[in-house]
Amino acid sequence: MPDLALISADLLKLRRRGGMVSLTLLGTLGVVALVFTVLAIQHAANPAKYGPAGGLENYRGAIETVGLLALIAGVIVGGTAGTQDIESGVFRDLAATGRSRTALFLSRAAGALAMVLPIVLVTAIATAAGSIALRADLAAPDAGTLAAGTALVLAAGALSTAVAVGVSAVVGSRGPVIGILLAFFLGISPLLEVIGLLGDSRQLVPDVALHRIGDLSTPAGVHVALGIAIAVVLGWIAVSLAAGAWRTKTREI
Amino acid sequence: MHSTTYSDPTSLAVHTEGLGKRFGARAALDGVDLEVPRGVAFGFLGANGAGKTTLIRLLLGLAEPTTGHMRLLGHELPGGRAAALARVGAIIEEPRFHPHLTGRENLAVHAAARDRSAQARIGGALERVGLAARADDRVKGYSLGMRQRLGVARCLLADPELLILDEPMNGLDPAGILEMRGLIRELVGEGRTVLLSSHLLDEVEKTCDLAAIVDLGRVVAHGTIHELVRGGPRAIDIVCHDALDAARLLAAVPGVSRATDHEGSLRVTLGPEAPVDREIVSALLRRLLDHGVAVERVAAVAVSLEDRFLTMTTRLEDRI
Repeated sequence: MPDLALISADLLKLRRRGGMVSLTLLGTLGVVALVFTVLAIQHAANPAKYGPAGGLENYRGAIETVGLLALIAGVIVGGTAGTQDIESGVFRDLAATGRSRTALFLSRAAGALAMVLPIVLVTAIATAAGSIALRADLAAPDAGTLAAGTALVLAAGALSTAVAVGVSAVVGSRGPVIGILLAFFLGISPLLEVIGLLGDSRQLVPDVALHRIGDLSTPAGVHVALGIAIAVVLGWIAVSLAAGAWRTKTREI
Repeated sequence: MHSTTYSDPTSLAVHTEGLGKRFGARAALDGVDLEVPRGVAFGFLGANGAGKTTLIRLLLGLAEPTTGHMRLLGHELPGGRAAALARVGAIIEEPRFHPHLTGRENLAVHAAARDRSAQARIGGALERVGLAARADDRVKGYSLGMRQRLGVARCLLADPELLILDEPMNGLDPAGILEMRGLIRELVGEGRTVLLSSHLLDEVEKTCDLAAIVDLGRVVAHGTIHELVRGGPRAIDIVCHDALDAARLLAAVPGVSRATDHEGSLRVTLGPEAPVDREIVSALLRRLLDHGVAVERVAAVAVSLEDRFLTMTTRLEDRI
């Protein structure tokens, strides 16, 4: 099993990628800060035309967007974590230490999660703080809504990170993995959700499960129990990691 | 030529028996029997595509053999691979690193996959290969020679009993080659075993105690450098007038297998049945002088490992 030293090493490899870290922070925390700043300025300049930046409804809209941003951040960081040893040629040397390849793979996933989850958590907290601080006379989001929103963001980040680490271990190349998974999470998954022909099988679509965890209504109104939604997210994570671990173990290098 | 055999395979650093690896119809390795004793520098020689790197990959568990058995540091593979590799440091093909990390960080990443004591060896390993001053620079700014040295430093993190170095002289300038040669001998002096795969025959001859020559996936010779060189045909260079006539005359002398023009002199290659040098040289000179050919100089040809390698391996043009 992965130990802390391996996870720290994988986290170090990610932290030292200044461009990727900056992009991830800008694409999550930066976007939230920018949106609240613009909305607050608009409200201050013309309160009659523009409502407050915060409040319950604005929080619901914002946290749904933050969920999407968490998916993107997870794909970028997970795709990088899953391929950086292979693409640099270092994986061969790590495998030649005799260390279990499964442990090496799982430490990549843990390292990526250790980078993504704090970032998206801080983004979710910033969204909540902005929604409360800038609510003016609107109702503030209650504790249950905040908890559901934070859970949505964390689930989205964990899901896309784990799927990206697993798929990138299978494919072995970062660029195509990031492209394919962004297309899946941002395009195909929402599209599957609105295809009525698929019936209850749409409960397996990640977008549906994430909306349920966030206590948000889905565009197509697909109903799913919270327990099933959590199980669907965990299932996607488990299948992706199992595929990645299998490929890592059997790859001839 | 398998001149030396070791009865107890667990006493060997590397022991393979009938090791084979096929890629489809092509055999990259075909029944390789190899014995590398502990505490020596062992050269593994072969042309590109001969199977050197495939053997290293099999030993390190990076690919699975199609046939045969392997032992590494006394551990049967694949069962004992983790225990064996814990004391093996290796550079495969060329040393690869994360270019965005510093040399020290790259070693830290590798040490994390080793036992806990590996982290404590990072500073010493960098000092030993002469990279301490550049350890905190990013590897993307390193020359190939610096990466080679960082690769050796990475090997040392395991406090290895066995180092497997694939072309370690690549990219080194003459001073770097001398340093690397010295470092390898130093490591052997500490009781470690170095398995050095190289196409630089001169380097293997100067650095290694024993060697194996591999050709088309098979070990064609195996022994000490002295044994390998000695096993080749003897030859004598003669500088004389009228080399063409002399060649014709000498080709008829018993024990001579061939007499040809060679860089302005006459090279006489002796057969295995030729008598000792003193007798054959006397016979050759007598033959020439009796036929009025004036002789200017006679010298025994020192056979190098390169000469032996070329006589034992398949030329590129013969493979096509």
